[in-house]
Amino acid sequence: MAWLEGSALGHAMRDSGVWTYGIVNLTHILGVAILFGAIVILDLRLLGLWKQVPLAALSKPIVSMAAIGFVVAAISGSGLLATKATEYVGNPFLYIKFPAIALGLINVLLIHRSRAWKAHRARDLTVREQSQLAAMGGTSLVCWLTALSAGRMIGYW
Amino acid sequence: MAIQLTRGALGAMVCAATLALSPLPAAAHHGWGGNVDQVSEMTGMVVEGVKLAGPHGTMKINVDGHVWDLTLAPPFRTSSAGLKPDTIPVGAMVIVRGQKNRDASRYEMKTIQVEYEGRHFTVYPEREASLKH
Repeated sequence: MAWLEGSALGHAMRDSGVWTYGIVNLTHILGVAILFGAIVILDLRLLGLWKQVPLAALSKPIVSMAAIGFVVAAISGSGLLATKATEYVGNPFLYIKFPAIALGLINVLLIHRSRAWKAHRARDLTVREQSQLAAMGGTSLVCWLTALSAGRMIGYW
Repeated sequence: MAIQLTRGALGAMVCAATLALSPLPAAAHHGWGGNVDQVSEMTGMVVEGVKLAGPHGTMKINVDGHVWDLTLAPPFRTSSAGLKPDTIPVGAMVIVRGQKNRDASRYEMKTIQVEYEGRHFTVYPEREASLKH
């Protein structure tokens, strides 16, 4: 944390004007909104909502937007953290948020490696495959909801 | 079907709005809820000058051996009040007026005004009325 605070990013965040933090914070919210807004639709679809909408039609735009949102949030978030990184040591919400993000990313990897996901554009999924994806969609929702909530609460500790 | 969906969406929006508007715990650092209502005054020596990084401007002063974290207004408003990183040197004596954190062990004050060499920097002018001169 001391290293991050002392990094060029940390210095840039602190020394580049009174609006820097606010604008980076705004960018972070935008990234989170895009990520979560996209992923919540996919997760609910995997959990069985809107079955009349083909999964294959949803998955590509949603995954693209979620990835863009994640990158925007991760870059801006690093800046926010670097501003006063040492102050966040001991903030319990931070220790909830980052493991939740890690689990969310592992879950993304598992979904993309699953046979069901690989097959969903080519053919109809079996009931078993659908429930596999539903479980991972549920896990995803819990992970990202936890990350978002814990992230919002960091400032209130 | 369309009507049902609209109702569902409306219900969700009402729920979200209720959640968003419900009061947060008193410990919230972005509001004044975590601070006592009473305005108090302290005199101390600056140990860390004004910083305009992060959601609020900050500075640290030593009062009777305790280092107090002073939470100022957001960076733009603090700077507009004339309080900039080089305005007050480390080691200077200042008088600060504001509302202390409800948790006394935190030694934190949401600061309304900083007085240095007779100059008054009021970072929360709308709260100036609560100050006793």
